[in-house]
Amino acid sequence: MAGKSSATPTTYSPSLTGQKKKRPSFLTDSDWVRPDGRGPHQCRPAFLRTGAVNSASGSAYAEFGNTKVIVSVYGPRESKKAMMYSDTGRLNCNVSYTTFATPIRGQAPETKDLSSMLHKALEGAIILKSFPKTTVDVFALVLESGGSDLPVITTCASLALADAGIMLYDMVASVSVSSIGKNLLIDPVSEEESYQDGSLMITCMPSRNEVTQMTVTGEWSTPKIHEAMQLCLDACSKLGKIMRSCLKEAASGPQD
Amino acid sequence: MVGLSLGEQNFIKGGIAQDLRTDGRNRLAYRPIFVETGVIPQASGSARVKLGATDVIASVKAELGKPNLSHPDKGKVSIYVDCSPTAEPTFEGRGGEELSAELSSALQRCLLGGKSGAGAGIDLSSLSIVEGKVCWDLYIDGLVVSSDGNVLDALGAAIKAALSNTVIPKVQVAANASSDEQPEVDVSDEEFLQFDTSGVPVIITLTKVGKHYIVDATTEEESQMSSAVSVSINRQGRICGLTKRGGAGLDPSIILDMISVAKHVSEQLINKLDSEIAAAEACDEETEMDC
Repeated sequence: MAGKSSATPTTYSPSLTGQKKKRPSFLTDSDWVRPDGRGPHQCRPAFLRTGAVNSASGSAYAEFGNTKVIVSVYGPRESKKAMMYSDTGRLNCNVSYTTFATPIRGQAPETKDLSSMLHKALEGAIILKSFPKTTVDVFALVLESGGSDLPVITTCASLALADAGIMLYDMVASVSVSSIGKNLLIDPVSEEESYQDGSLMITCMPSRNEVTQMTVTGEWSTPKIHEAMQLCLDACSKLGKIMRSCLKEAASGPQD
Repeated sequence: MVGLSLGEQNFIKGGIAQDLRTDGRNRLAYRPIFVETGVIPQASGSARVKLGATDVIASVKAELGKPNLSHPDKGKVSIYVDCSPTAEPTFEGRGGEELSAELSSALQRCLLGGKSGAGAGIDLSSLSIVEGKVCWDLYIDGLVVSSDGNVLDALGAAIKAALSNTVIPKVQVAANASSDEQPEVDVSDEEFLQFDTSGVPVIITLTKVGKHYIVDATTEEESQMSSAVSVSINRQGRICGLTKRGGAGLDPSIILDMISVAKHVSEQLINKLDSEIAAAEACDEETEMDC
């Protein structure tokens, strides 16, 4: 699908402030050569489109390298009768993997975990008071899992919510960083994720400069966390701009 | 839990702003910690931790198993938390499932490190018996008996105590096993290996209420929080895991500030916890010697 787009693929590689060189040199460990030839601080080109699913209130398709995700948003629609009255809206998230998404058939990770993390990432950005008594359903389907899945799912879900017209405080962009030895690799692929010593994922609202979700695994020293956070936040703000331009294109497109 | 009136909410927020919480503590003070080890005789190790009114039990069971194909020289650890209906009536049946899943994944993140196994609080290579064939599977189970806030910290402390109480039997492998057969292992009843827990981190949850952070929040204080960050720090002061909980957004500089506050608090907590665990183990040995 990416080959059919006429525009050049957009990328959101961050710039590490205070450091001129793009590739940090390592004294002891050998450089990790990335399988797709990217630099350690270079993200995959992002392909984003809205309006992928016609029957949904809003939908989006995202393709980041080999990670392909489609998200559809239904709502606001009536809450189930069993649920109690609530004067704020409700958000219901569901993440599922297709059986052919992973290299080995049916080897999907814990989707309940991913669903609850998606919920937490999005609930800070949605203005729930704008749709009381109703529910917004977000369904994410991972068509191919090529690494850095949850950040792509979150980004795509936020685009789908905007496409559905749900009121948001800001777009939600998400990026993850993998630490392998002394290298910090942004936007890892599945091979790099399997070798990683630690990972840091940030979901933030770029214009408000607010972090809605952050998870860190593995052992990190404080300066390393500082550096990784800077990288992620920089990439998130660039990704936010790309998301906005995608929405603008979609809005101005049909009028031609 | 009974809802809080507006006056009570303001009282909690105002107290926190003035460094005097409803139970008289400072913002960065923990409730008295009470540790008891060896509470479950059938398990390889167990501990019960009481943090004020929060009461959790952790048990460790070691069983022989086959290692993962991608990591043949490492054992396996699986962490699972169960929220008992005695803690909250809403936990009955599937009600507590969401909280259990959140706690289990947060603990796994803090204790098991990255996918390659580096930075894990538990040394997985020490659990391997015969590379590629036999290893120890550790099943760590947590049970929340009573919940009055800060359950994650209590579970982290209970798991640390349970691991230091864990004894793994010595295993002798039959020397003349051929390379592709399953080797015969003889599990010794007499000799045991103590588990090394110096690397196990503690979990510190910082709850943000208004403009200030508090440590060890009670249920009432947690109801007033805007967001919380749980940081897992080990003895060397390195961060082994971080989870942000709660819906509201946080400025990145605040998160970094919370990390440094958590580091500062962790030194005292690790020392306190170690002394409590040592006291509990000593108490345990005394009662054993008496019978």
